[in-house]
Amino acid sequence: MWPELSQQERFRAVALAVRDRLVDGMLATEERYRRADPKRVHYLSIEFLLGQSLQTNLVNLGILEPCRQALTKLGANLEELESVERDAALGNGGLGRLAACFLDSLATLGLPGYGYGINYEYGLFKQEIDGGYQREKPDNWLAEGSPWQISRPQEGCLVPVFGRIEHGTDRHGAYNPMWMDWKVLMGVPHDMLIPGYGGRTVHFLRLYTARSSHDFDMRIFNDGDYFKAVEQKIASETVSKVLYPSDAIVAGQELRLVQEYFLAACALRDIVRRFEQNHSGFDEFSAKTAIQLNDTHPALAVAELMRILVDEKDLPWDNAWKITQSVLAYTNHTLAPEALEKWPVPLLERTLPRHLQIIFEINHRFLQQVATAHPGDSRRIERMSLIEESSPRQVRMVNLAIAGSHSVNGVSAIHTKLLKDELVPDFCQLAPDKFNNKTNGITQRRWLLEANPLLADLICSHLGNGWIIDLNQLRGLEKFAEDAGFEAQFQKIKRANKERLAAIIRDNVGVKIDSDALFDVQVKRIHIYKRQLLNVMHIVHEYLSLIEDGKVPLAPRTYILAGKAAPGYWLAKQIIKLIHNVAKVINQDPRADRWIKVAFLPDYRVSLAEKIIPAADLSEQISTAGTEASGTSNMKLALNGAITIGTLDGANIEIRDEIGEDNIFIFGLKAAEIKALREKRTYLPREFYDRDPRVKRIADAFASGLFCREEPGLFDWVGKVIFDPADEHFHLADLPAYLQAHEKASQAFGDRKRWMRMSILNVARIGKFSSDRTVMEYARDIWGVSKI
Amino acid sequence: MEISASKIGNVAVAVVPVEELDASNTAEFKRDVTPVLEGNASLVIDLSRLRFIDSSGLGAMLSCLRQVSAKGGDLKLCGMSKQVRATFELVRMHRIFEIFPTQLEAVRAFQG
Repeated sequence: MWPELSQQERFRAVALAVRDRLVDGMLATEERYRRADPKRVHYLSIEFLLGQSLQTNLVNLGILEPCRQALTKLGANLEELESVERDAALGNGGLGRLAACFLDSLATLGLPGYGYGINYEYGLFKQEIDGGYQREKPDNWLAEGSPWQISRPQEGCLVPVFGRIEHGTDRHGAYNPMWMDWKVLMGVPHDMLIPGYGGRTVHFLRLYTARSSHDFDMRIFNDGDYFKAVEQKIASETVSKVLYPSDAIVAGQELRLVQEYFLAACALRDIVRRFEQNHSGFDEFSAKTAIQLNDTHPALAVAELMRILVDEKDLPWDNAWKITQSVLAYTNHTLAPEALEKWPVPLLERTLPRHLQIIFEINHRFLQQVATAHPGDSRRIERMSLIEESSPRQVRMVNLAIAGSHSVNGVSAIHTKLLKDELVPDFCQLAPDKFNNKTNGITQRRWLLEANPLLADLICSHLGNGWIIDLNQLRGLEKFAEDAGFEAQFQKIKRANKERLAAIIRDNVGVKIDSDALFDVQVKRIHIYKRQLLNVMHIVHEYLSLIEDGKVPLAPRTYILAGKAAPGYWLAKQIIKLIHNVAKVINQDPRADRWIKVAFLPDYRVSLAEKIIPAADLSEQISTAGTEASGTSNMKLALNGAITIGTLDGANIEIRDEIGEDNIFIFGLKAAEIKALREKRTYLPREFYDRDPRVKRIADAFASGLFCREEPGLFDWVGKVIFDPADEHFHLADLPAYLQAHEKASQAFGDRKRWMRMSILNVARIGKFSSDRTVMEYARDIWGVSKI
Repeated sequence: MEISASKIGNVAVAVVPVEELDASNTAEFKRDVTPVLEGNASLVIDLSRLRFIDSSGLGAMLSCLRQVSAKGGDLKLCGMSKQVRATFELVRMHRIFEIFPTQLEAVRAFQG
């Protein structure tokens, strides 16, 4: 039987066997929680970037080796089977991956918690490259079903959308708005089991699929208009069809609004249902329930919870509002205006008329509170209103989320400061105690133990395995930072990882690279604020220095870039094309052959990140200061011994503080300097061009058509961006300092002992950035939940 | 749709004979319940057979209440399943109807 199975079938068989163990763990966990009746956390996120699950599940259950041995006996290879699994790419980037890391930490820490999301049939698109251009292909990750999902149709819920308000009075003569003429969606949960490390706790991530109701399906056969009925069925099921692929940009379509409401409604229905199974009345609801809103995408939960409490459970408004605020907490992930969600009032009126009424009422009462605190300050009222008086009027979801939550956090120290001082200072003045920082983190289980088993083994052999659940224990590596024996093993492991990546690059993009070269890595979504363009400018600088000045680099460099551009983001797609054209010119130039290589790896996803990150020497974290709320690839790369070259932005600042100035290459303008330049409008990029011949040469290279001989003018946009005095990302302002920082990095890499020391100290001092620490802080400061 | 009313004292009791009241049969329901509404000032509608009601079904119920109220009468509901009750609560219609578990309790409410 086994020899006849395909790899896919073998993977499925192994996964189902593992799932059985997970179910046992989940049932035991649920029984523990049932007996203890603890306060539970519910993490609502429109994205969960889970990646592959087989290895994580085996490691966390503690059965990796037994499984490997069992498969070997059957003539199968575990790593090969792992590679068959499709990534669950239900997310775009950092926000979705953070949610996935948090679930791992919640379970590992034994904190009672659940994830709630949407079961997109099509996850983030598959990226192919055609002539240097990104082409999106559908990611039908559920085509062959997922062995990890357990369908729970009996716990489905009905979600009304659209309709209108019928204004009436109740039996006592009071105003009674009735939500009529809605269409019904059915949310069917599919649970993915999430084991904590050690296997004691197994939670579930509840992902909802939108279906038309069974009754509706039956009516198709009875109704005269068959095709109309089928059209309506298809329309219902569209809600969970596809993840919106925009990262850090608002997707303003009606379908997205319905998705967001669908998530909030299904989650709240489930939360309330579970609560009511064991409690009567809502007095204890806030003592037993914490709900975290991952960005504003689930912020309709504020209005939906109010609707449930007031409309369905007949609670007085003030009581319901007190409960809502006590239960809800909001995490902000961005300050960028283009990423702040606002929904037009007319759209909300036709999609969620009752929620719009509730939002208006919340706003009315909230602004009364503001007016009492700041009498006569109409500008403040205007700024703080949940409704923006534009044409058409818009509902500001950030304001709604803040008003409806007892806690608002940013995701790094600098981000939280900017959130309080610049984005929402009025809210901070009104309720300063609401605001707090929770610096992001990553799970060391996936990002070191699983992704870099050789390094994990080395660490365990020297420190034991306590670091797996307490990353601060990596500090114990400090004493090995100058130990020749340890360094030699460390270096050998890095080289092995680099060889593995070199093979992947060779097989995927046909570029042969030297594993002894410095692997300079920038892997993240393509976005102007992340400044892949700045990276390309440095690459061009190194290339021109080599071929025109004869300046041989101190060490050969391989530049590795990866990331997806949102399909509608023209500039990001041009950046991908630029990278490919620059790569082609450099890689085909025999003069650069020994010294510089450039590779763009297509279809960046979690499983690819797990191969790239352990191989990195230098980690590019070069966003314009003040733009990257936190970043998390910075943490993953440092955890694997890559040294950061970066700006003082997001969590880079705290990484520097932990790791030490000597072990990181910081450059560029600080956030306050960027702000000053912007406000004084004194940025003159031409000056950098005129003053610095390096800058001139780089800019001229793009303009000359060196990288687009066959398509003249293709990269004229580069000049338009970098020479624009309104360039929001100040590329040329930071370019000289960036080139300087790279010089230092090259010199350091040439001194192997120094480089190894820095690399080891990065690993040793990164402990703060475990998502275990982050989640414990949320648990202590925001949720009030404890280990069970 | 056969909707006939029986009498308990002065109160008429009509049973909704279908399991689903939705867009596919609401018009039929409204047509067939009209004689019952016109002939009775005190009416209980028994929903115990109903498993599912959608927005148009709720609209039909509202319409019944308005027709009876317009003539100075009253309409009460009974026998709702949990799901049907939840749907009434979702749209706040439980605030405009008096709802009872059984026919008897609903009828007694008229007398009380």
